[in-house]
Amino acid sequence: MTIGGFILHNALRNKRRAILSVLSVAASLFLLVMLLVTLRELTVPPEEVESALRIAVRNKISIANFLPARQRPIIERIPGVVAVTPFTWFGGKYKNEESLSFAQFAMDVSTLRQTWAELNLSDEEYKAFLSDMRSCIVGRITAEKYNIKVGDKMLLTSTVFPIDIELKVAGIYSGTIDDRNVLFHHKYLDEMLGNPGTVGMWWVKVRSVQDMPRVIETINKTFANTSAEVKAETERAFQLSFVSMWGDIKVLIHSICSVVIFTLILVSASTMSMAIRERFRELAVLKALGFKQRELFALIFAESLGLAMAGAVLGVGGAWLVFSHTEIMKYATHGIFITFEVTPRIVARSFLVAIMLGVFSAIAPAIAVAKMSVVEGIKSID
Amino acid sequence: MGLPLKYNVRNLFIRWRATAATIAGIALVVAVYVLLQALAIGLEKSSRNTGYPLNVVIVRKGSTAESSSQITREQFRFIKYLPQIARDKNGNPLVSSEVVVLINLPRKNGDGEAHVLVRGVSPAGISLRPQVNLVAGRWFVPGHREVVVSQKLASRFANFDIGSSFKTAGATLKVVGWMDGQYSAFDSEVWMDVDEARAIFDRENYSSVIARMLDEQSIGAFTNRIESDKRLPLRAIRETEYYASQTKTAVPIKILGNFLATAMSIGAIFAAMNTMYASVGARVREIGTLRVLGWRRRTIMLAFVIEGAFLAFIGGIFGCLLALPLHGYSTGTVSFDTFSEVVFQFRLTPGLLVRGMIFAIIVGILGSLLPAMRAARLPVISALKSV
Repeated sequence: MTIGGFILHNALRNKRRAILSVLSVAASLFLLVMLLVTLRELTVPPEEVESALRIAVRNKISIANFLPARQRPIIERIPGVVAVTPFTWFGGKYKNEESLSFAQFAMDVSTLRQTWAELNLSDEEYKAFLSDMRSCIVGRITAEKYNIKVGDKMLLTSTVFPIDIELKVAGIYSGTIDDRNVLFHHKYLDEMLGNPGTVGMWWVKVRSVQDMPRVIETINKTFANTSAEVKAETERAFQLSFVSMWGDIKVLIHSICSVVIFTLILVSASTMSMAIRERFRELAVLKALGFKQRELFALIFAESLGLAMAGAVLGVGGAWLVFSHTEIMKYATHGIFITFEVTPRIVARSFLVAIMLGVFSAIAPAIAVAKMSVVEGIKSID
Repeated sequence: MGLPLKYNVRNLFIRWRATAATIAGIALVVAVYVLLQALAIGLEKSSRNTGYPLNVVIVRKGSTAESSSQITREQFRFIKYLPQIARDKNGNPLVSSEVVVLINLPRKNGDGEAHVLVRGVSPAGISLRPQVNLVAGRWFVPGHREVVVSQKLASRFANFDIGSSFKTAGATLKVVGWMDGQYSAFDSEVWMDVDEARAIFDRENYSSVIARMLDEQSIGAFTNRIESDKRLPLRAIRETEYYASQTKTAVPIKILGNFLATAMSIGAIFAAMNTMYASVGARVREIGTLRVLGWRRRTIMLAFVIEGAFLAFIGGIFGCLLALPLHGYSTGTVSFDTFSEVVFQFRLTPGLLVRGMIFAIIVGILGSLLPAMRAARLPVISALKSV
């Protein structure tokens, strides 16, 4: 019998325990992966290539405050600016729904393709959208969820403005990082509200990455000391500004992660030492046969690591299969988490925890074996 | 029943290493469950704890937050003199027209920015909320650019000490006092004079109106009067009900708590099973002896299930003890109702602790069921022979 075969036989001798140990490690690692992905989704919003060339301009007081529409030509004149579009959150409830389930934004349709180059929309649909002021385009996810087809009418009741609007669906788009929004003509919103001369925020598309810092600075400076001061920032910085609003929730999830890891180590360590203690007599026999201390250590470590890694493959692999290949989290959280991607980094971190687990679990039994005298070991029952 | 029970419980202490690890595992699962639920309870409590029974909030129909509601000055003038509204000793109606604005402010530890809810109140607005008390400094003076901030917010945001000031909308606002909202939603607000707020934030209209009713009967009459008037696109609702319905933030926390507890408990059940199987395996001969002495299979099974439940019970107690020190601890996150920072406390209610204990015992029973069945099914003769 080879050493490898010996270890394998030993690990599987008490099949029930081996399975239970592997399963408890797998369940905990599955949970750990899930927490790590959640944390990543909360703290690192998804990024798209095109976003490097977009600037978000919001009211300096907060995003909940409007900006005057007269700022647009001033921004457009800044060298390096390719396109500017207003972007106003409508906050509409769809049909008779109790709460907001997807966002709607009013914007300038003529700059749609320049500002969001990654957005996929057929030419006919775009033309139809452009030509009908009362039409809208719907993101693929929302269209699928409500079974919305081109040509349908959507009735939306705003929670922000005192109006209802009915929009005709001109097209279904995809390709953005979050294909859930409904986009419609800002002109139509202005008309419904009696031209208030305000917008929610501006999106600015810039010619090149080199122009970005200068354009951002110019926008901020231009409106400093006016009645509507702005904060211009990259799309990335804009998204990250929402992250800090989560406050203590991040800390909370961090601490839960630590508790999960700790519990895991505790429980597996106890199982491992249980397995070794049961075999004290055999280990004593091996010692008597002339096996060296470090060979015994290797046996114990290999068995412990093997069990932990089996659990890791099952738990982490399972999480990767479930989260990265199905859209279960998107539906389970009603769209709060869109991508829920298990990144290689998270996989690596979880495997690292599994290795730690295997090593830690083997330490106590290894010490016990080292201390044991052969005679004592052979005498021990159980 | 007495002997197997005593035997099982004492056994737990003999195999103390495995027992301790399992107890600790269950304790941590229970602690996570209890703490997350305590968070959700704290959030709900702070919104349910807000408002005075005779106060009515008036907002625009269809708006879900005060910050997106609008009430014109004409509408306010009409509301102000409705007969159901109580009056103070000088005969002025107890009404406050208010402006609610969200402003972005830096956090204290330099960890980014967050939205803070600023409420502009009329002079009557303060006495309309008996929950809110000044704890340091003084109230703002109408016509001055001064604010009173919640003491609980002051520990979370930069420049909220009394005497310091912060800039927003081109104006400098000076902090002149700290207030305490007795664990209500007002603990997450900054208050200032309504007319100053309208001027600084360039608001033509008010956001909401708060009115004190004469008595319980007036509330119905008043809300009917507002809602039935076609010229008023407004909605009147009891202040306590208005805040109690703000539970959007607590729901995902509850879901997260339940989910984590379930996932972690699966791991804990496997661990408990392992311990219990080992415990049965080591006692095969003793179980055989008990059977020979006349104890029945079901008694032995029950004894082992009780052993598992007892193990989990101790784990549950430790879990609750572990969570208990966090009771009352203040924490904060973004509210999905107001879109601003909400401060609230962990609330470990007796009911929640009982739920945590039940949860632990279920884990113990599920973990010991299969091992107990194995113990009960052992054939007597071979059990006695086993070494």
